Amino acid sequence: MSGCLIHGLPWAAKPSSFAALHNKAAWAAHWESGASRALGKRREPRIGGFVMRDLTRRGVLLGATAAGVAPALVGTGSVQAQTPAPTPAPAPKRGGTLTTILTPEPPILVLGVNNQGPTQLAAGKLFQGLFKYSFKLDPVAELAQSWTLSDDKKTYTFKLQENVKFHDGTPMTADDVIFSIMKFHTELSPRARPIFAKIKQATAPDPHTVVLTLDAPFEPFMLMFDDTACAIVPKHIYDGTDYRTNPANQHPIGTGPFQFVEWQRGNFIRMKRFADYWKPGEPYLDEIIYRIIPDSQSRALALQTGQVQLTQANDIEPFDIPRFKAMSNLQVELNGWEYASQLSWFEINHRVKPLDDVRVRQAMSHALDRNFILNRLWFGIGKVATGPIVSTTKFYDPAVAKLQAYDPGKAMALLDAAGLKPNAKGVRFSIKQLALPYGEVWMRLSEYFRTAMAKVGIEVTLETTDAGAWARRIGDWDYETSTNFLSQFGDPTLGVERSYVSSNIKKVTFTNTGGYSNPKVDALFATARDSGDPAVRAKAFTDVQKILCDEVPQIWLMELAWPTIHEKKLHNVIRTAMGPNGDFEDAYLA
Amino acid sequence: MGSARFWRFLAQRLLKMAAMIVAIAVANFLLIHAAPGDPASVMAGEAGAADPQFMAQLRAQFGLDKPLSTQLLIYLGNLLHGDLGMSFRQGRPVAGLIAERLPATLLLTGTAFAFALAMGMLLGALAAQRVGRWADSAITVLALGFFATPIFWVGLMLVLVFSVWLDWLPSFGMNTVGADYTGWAAVADTAQYLVLPALTLGLFYMAVYARLTRASMLEVASQDFVRTARAKGVPEGRILRRHILRNALLPVITYAGIQAGQLIGGSILVETVFAWPGIGRLAFDALLARDYQLLLGVFLCTSVLTVVVNLVTDVVYAWVDPRVEVG
Amino acid sequence: MSDFVRIFVRNRGAVVGVVVLALVAVIAATAGVLFPFSPWDMRGAPFSPPGDPDFLLGSDSLGRDVAAGIAYGARVSLLIGAVSTCVAVLIGVTLGAVAGYASGLIDDAIMRFTEFFQTIPSFVLAVVLVAIFSPSLGSIVVAIAIVSWPPVARVIRAEVLSLRSREFVQAAEVLGRSRLSIICREILPNALSPLIVLASLMVASAILLESGLSFLGLGDPNLMSWGFMIGAGRSVIRLAWWMSVFPGVAIFLTVLALNLVGEGLTDALNPRLARRR
Repeated sequence: MSGCLIHGLPWAAKPSSFAALHNKAAWAAHWESGASRALGKRREPRIGGFVMRDLTRRGVLLGATAAGVAPALVGTGSVQAQTPAPTPAPAPKRGGTLTTILTPEPPILVLGVNNQGPTQLAAGKLFQGLFKYSFKLDPVAELAQSWTLSDDKKTYTFKLQENVKFHDGTPMTADDVIFSIMKFHTELSPRARPIFAKIKQATAPDPHTVVLTLDAPFEPFMLMFDDTACAIVPKHIYDGTDYRTNPANQHPIGTGPFQFVEWQRGNFIRMKRFADYWKPGEPYLDEIIYRIIPDSQSRALALQTGQVQLTQANDIEPFDIPRFKAMSNLQVELNGWEYASQLSWFEINHRVKPLDDVRVRQAMSHALDRNFILNRLWFGIGKVATGPIVSTTKFYDPAVAKLQAYDPGKAMALLDAAGLKPNAKGVRFSIKQLALPYGEVWMRLSEYFRTAMAKVGIEVTLETTDAGAWARRIGDWDYETSTNFLSQFGDPTLGVERSYVSSNIKKVTFTNTGGYSNPKVDALFATARDSGDPAVRAKAFTDVQKILCDEVPQIWLMELAWPTIHEKKLHNVIRTAMGPNGDFEDAYLA
Repeated sequence: MGSARFWRFLAQRLLKMAAMIVAIAVANFLLIHAAPGDPASVMAGEAGAADPQFMAQLRAQFGLDKPLSTQLLIYLGNLLHGDLGMSFRQGRPVAGLIAERLPATLLLTGTAFAFALAMGMLLGALAAQRVGRWADSAITVLALGFFATPIFWVGLMLVLVFSVWLDWLPSFGMNTVGADYTGWAAVADTAQYLVLPALTLGLFYMAVYARLTRASMLEVASQDFVRTARAKGVPEGRILRRHILRNALLPVITYAGIQAGQLIGGSILVETVFAWPGIGRLAFDALLARDYQLLLGVFLCTSVLTVVVNLVTDVVYAWVDPRVEVG
Repeated sequence: MSDFVRIFVRNRGAVVGVVVLALVAVIAATAGVLFPFSPWDMRGAPFSPPGDPDFLLGSDSLGRDVAAGIAYGARVSLLIGAVSTCVAVLIGVTLGAVAGYASGLIDDAIMRFTEFFQTIPSFVLAVVLVAIFSPSLGSIVVAIAIVSWPPVARVIRAEVLSLRSREFVQAAEVLGRSRLSIICREILPNALSPLIVLASLMVASAILLESGLSFLGLGDPNLMSWGFMIGAGRSVIRLAWWMSVFPGVAIFLTVLALNLVGEGLTDALNPRLARRR
């Protein structure tokens, strides 16, 4: 290109003119553009004491062929979680380094200051809460060894473990717990704030006992004490400082089985065994290394070639999962998300006509083939949604949880009944869809939405933004439809109510930004919230599920499952409903 | 050119440069703040839960609740003290973050640049020597090919050949994590990770330099002073070295100078794909997270480098070619 | 004129370029006839390999036809390339002509303004601009135009500077013609040849820029463009290499053709140098 320009221009031009000859855009564009490197290194790095698998070239090619077989696997229904091997697992062995991935790189590793997914994954090894939760969402002892509830259901007494130390050697006491609950998380966490505000009084009769008194019974209270909701942080480090800018945030100090070693930004995070961990003999692993790999194909490659032994959550794209299921040295686990229980839906802004008409929303729900979404977009990973409450959350009632079946004919009949007849081009009305900017698969979902709606005469125009603009637009109610997914946190009062009660219509994401308002629903949620009696709550939730399934304020799509894939040599990965967010205190390589 | 004039020219340019940088800082500030959403909304979107108090707290912490003009003045004030501010998202000084990632990018783009320049000039000179013959056609076609191909293709072929089939090179990362090499072992380790990304970036520019060199040499070879030298009986080799090359390389050097100024900014996608922990990726992530201070810091660095390199190029050019006037 | 054509045709590369461009234009124009359905329609099994009777070039992750995408995408790419180049040329010619003719303070100011645009790496600037305006056809065209105009301004300014002291311009000034008419009638027609060459190359770079933006997910999601297809295919490249390869071939051929045509134009407009070949 420059050659041509040299031909055409005066030779003795001034230097700055030569600058003119060069179209920076073109070269910069080339300089910038690139793509995924699908296949790559098979040489194994030597990491710690763990000997990596050395795949032969044939192994890699077989992997590639299995990928080519993927179309046959698509549409075979949901992926079954692999059952553990029938032979008993080998005894726990001390030693070894676990290398895994973190996607995307979190800004900070202190729970409370930051609560996003990757932070929960990595910092979950550094910090702990009073409890963790079993797959059935019952509390399991962690930093608290036991708990009792008074007869009036307002006073909780937690007895703490006795020999817990923070990573800087300081013993953990009831003061740290009370500080974490009443000051640290109340100040920082929008999720914890409304719940901990109910605590009228918090006292420490002795250094290993905490007594919390609520102003009224609140049944879901016990679900607020894992490390993601309320990690216990050292009072002597944080009290009296600005929590968000405290220098200790760069070198996290918790009570977890692993302690922070170093963080090379953009490269990796490293943590090693905490020698004074309060459970003797644990953890088994020497080190955990989180590698930051921004490209999805590179991540899949890392897992395939054994450079990492574990992936979770966002690391591997759904279409890659069938390939890894077929590999004999890997295990794919789909459980471990019972606490989070994430539900995806098409978000509706009720202020935009005609989306405020329930018949229109029901029609849209009929027009979607949720099985197609599950099998074609998510490759069978997850479950089709049946209502606003996920099947693994408490008080889910399968008897009333039913969504509109896939029936475009019914959809069109409903739209006709709503007075929206097609015009000369077959279009009944037009709306916009703001795609969720958190990955390729959400883009495909929005594209499917457009196609499905077009079939029943609804014209959809897509809008894309990046994360900052998306959050702002949702918060400002500046959208017509969008896509979203939220966690349920184990109990509908904690994670479900916020999207449907009129008192939570606020100009912030993760509230009732859609603007749905139904006094009956408000009343039912209020009853469930205030009652201390599980039977009363169950009835209220059953009634509210019935109403919501009928009114479809949001068009629910899928119960999301995030596969955890690990080498079979790694044991005790998913032990509780915290899943891979757990502290890995008893994980081992053998 | 008289030396007094030269120094005056230099002083003038330095002054202009300083003013330019301040203007750039202001313009960048306004540009970045024009993007919808702010760091608070990004963090709210990621947190899975939010309330108005959360947003207000974050905004107050980042100083975003003040009017824009106040924020600008604060920013400029800090800048004049050499303080680039704190990254909102990571809670660490911007200068530190940039300093950490800069060497990786410079290594990558510097290597690509050196490779492109050397190979490009070589191939271009070769093509000019054998103009019209098949070597020339082959090199021109190759150059056009690399120039027109989206870079990821080149990369894909390279990975396919060198990583999958031959298993000679790794396909992502910058070094072997956990191996803790030091000294020469570390250099050798990073070198093998560097090959594919540098090659991917370098092949396109090699094409540009090859064509530029070829065209420029042909242009010069047809000029009168070369014909005169030939008529005088000067040996061909000497004509090539002393007359043709020195003049033909001027536009190549100019362009190389311009490109040197882009060394910092230029490699977002390659860094993403190869998981190369550099500054291009840092800037892109900062944009997505609306981490204003960090993004402004990166823009400032690239601007300063570009302006400085432009100045150096102009000065070198003026010093080398007496025909060119300065000022 | 016939001289121009004669020299142009002698350059085989340029002729090939013109043929390829014509082919692309024809495909773009007849996309509706060749593929009488929307490229977004999900027409069959996903990830069908090429050579399938239903899907000549294969299908993508939602069962959409890759060949249809390429045909319709030709429209988008050519459109974006042409329009953004026009806008960039408009801006650049205006600013360059004013700077060259006015000189002095105005010239300085405009040149500093131009330099500012060249201090931010242009792709990053394009990304920021698209992020500000939210991705859409309009914002992409504007963003590409904004990062592409500086070279045009510089070239035009250089031409104007060198031409304004020539006799025919002085004659026009003496005759009392207005500045605007001098610029439009006397100077610009003579500056046309480097401009034409530059424009042809700018279309190529605009296509590449758009593919880069779509790649990063910042393209207009309602337009099936080649860049978008490559971006969508990038993450599934191991399952379906054809999703990325064929649109890439399309970009490669188009950009190559534009470059060849640019070279041909340069030779034809500068016969003296063409003799060297």
